Amino acid sequence: MASQALKTSQPSNPSQIPTTAQTPKASARTARKSAVRPRAKPGAVARAADTMLGRGIIQLLAVAVFFLAWEVAVRAGWLTEFLVGAPSGIWRVFLASMRDGSLPVDTWYTVIEAIIGFLIGTLMGSVAGLGLWYSAFVARLVEPFIVAINSVPKIALAPIVILWFGTGFVSKVALAVSLTALVALIAAYQAARDADPDLQALLASMGASKNRVFKSVIVPSTLPAIIGMFRINIGFALVGAVVGEFISSQRGLGHLIYSASSLYDLNTVWVGLFVLMFVGFLLYHVIDFAERRILPWRQVITTGQVQV
Amino acid sequence: MTAPEVQLSLDGIRKSFPGKGGPVPVLDGLTFDIYERDFVSIIGPSGCGKTTVFNVIAGLLEPDSGTMTFRGEVVPGLQGRVGYMMQKDLLFPWRTVLQNVMLGLEMKGVDRAQALDTAREYLSTFGLSGFENAYPKMLSGGMRQRTALIRTLIMDPDILLLDEPFSALDYQTRLYLEGVLLDAVETFHKTVVLVTHDIDEAVALSKRVVVLGNRPTKVKSVHEIGLDARSPIGARSDPRFSDYFQTLCGELEIQTRQRAA
Repeated sequence: MASQALKTSQPSNPSQIPTTAQTPKASARTARKSAVRPRAKPGAVARAADTMLGRGIIQLLAVAVFFLAWEVAVRAGWLTEFLVGAPSGIWRVFLASMRDGSLPVDTWYTVIEAIIGFLIGTLMGSVAGLGLWYSAFVARLVEPFIVAINSVPKIALAPIVILWFGTGFVSKVALAVSLTALVALIAAYQAARDADPDLQALLASMGASKNRVFKSVIVPSTLPAIIGMFRINIGFALVGAVVGEFISSQRGLGHLIYSASSLYDLNTVWVGLFVLMFVGFLLYHVIDFAERRILPWRQVITTGQVQV
Repeated sequence: MTAPEVQLSLDGIRKSFPGKGGPVPVLDGLTFDIYERDFVSIIGPSGCGKTTVFNVIAGLLEPDSGTMTFRGEVVPGLQGRVGYMMQKDLLFPWRTVLQNVMLGLEMKGVDRAQALDTAREYLSTFGLSGFENAYPKMLSGGMRQRTALIRTLIMDPDILLLDEPFSALDYQTRLYLEGVLLDAVETFHKTVVLVTHDIDEAVALSKRVVVLGNRPTKVKSVHEIGLDARSPIGARSDPRFSDYFQTLCGELEIQTRQRAA
């Protein structure tokens, strides 16, 4: 449906139509000018680089330069490998831990803890937050409690969570839930409260029930904010999983980083950090992809807009 | 011409809103009739509670006292029987034009295939074919308001409640949409209640104009508009147009420079 909508939109979109307004005289003049000085317009290089491929090359180049500089600095003795590690050492650790299977297992643990924690926390929080829309009375009643609970730094709960849920898998999920649930609740409730009252009145004038208004106005109009919150929460879920592993665990990237750093094995620490970075990056883009599929109506905004 | 039949009658409608120093009365015993196939404009000083009248008729607000009689039957409000249209087009941004137009039919529980057919038919009647799958963001203001008008008409409401529907549009688009509205009202035999702050628009479109007084509001006077031209431009060029305009300005106590001198 989305692609269909975009397709039909194109003829009506002025930016897509090639400009034919140029008079023959004017085009002849520009043709003569360009014949005299066949030079690219200013900004042409920038425009050529601003494509998917162009940007990708520049970004990869930047990463390569960074690691090269790091390696050179370590080899030249400007940096101590003992304190900062070295790209070549990181690569060696990465290959070895991939070969013996320990890195995939650690990654798997952390990712699964984070994803399950994210799903449970976000789902519970969103449902509760949207549910508060039904009763302004209940919402006002529970608001101070929500604010109070939310103002506790959730990381401070970690020791209790470990005591209650053990040192295994469940405690990490619980910590991820505790970090994500209230964020989701507050975001969903705020978005539901901001939903256009006139749209709700319109539906009511058509004879719609409260459930109907919820389904047709509240849920769709809060989706952008809720999906936006997903991006924040996927990061929080990873924080929960890793911090849980720091405190007490046998497995996971947090465990890997924590135990390696206590042995001054910086290269292994970096492997853990880079894998975490990669995982977060990947999950972010999964949400990005989901957003584009779920909210096709938000995507049309940027087409044909003036860039300032 | 036979005597017009009363469709909706408001009798002594009172409504107040809670304020800092106790309840603030807004409607103070509002009484007027709306006939079958009437076109009534409600004008009044700004802040006099025009929109409150609307919300009471639509059944979105409950009056403190007073009764509403619809075709001889006392009703609490006309929920589900009115088409409501505001200055904001109130199109659902996540719905395409077609889905927006179908909204009212969905609420009524009309069969989906049938609703689709009806919606397409209306869109082509009002010149919006080819935009079925466009999202509201991609349309111009006039097209959006036209879509909103179709959404209102397609539900086949007994009464159209229009709350300054065209006041956010430029003058040309407004004249055009006023024409579209008048044609549609003729074709579909609708009763229209129009709230406007624009005396010019009230005179050009209405059969009758109800003038409200300052808050707390009562009906100050009701004026029959006897212009024969049933087009917004034709009405504005009628020689009697300016008489009506002057009279209504006088009713609203708008001070013009001439008067002051």
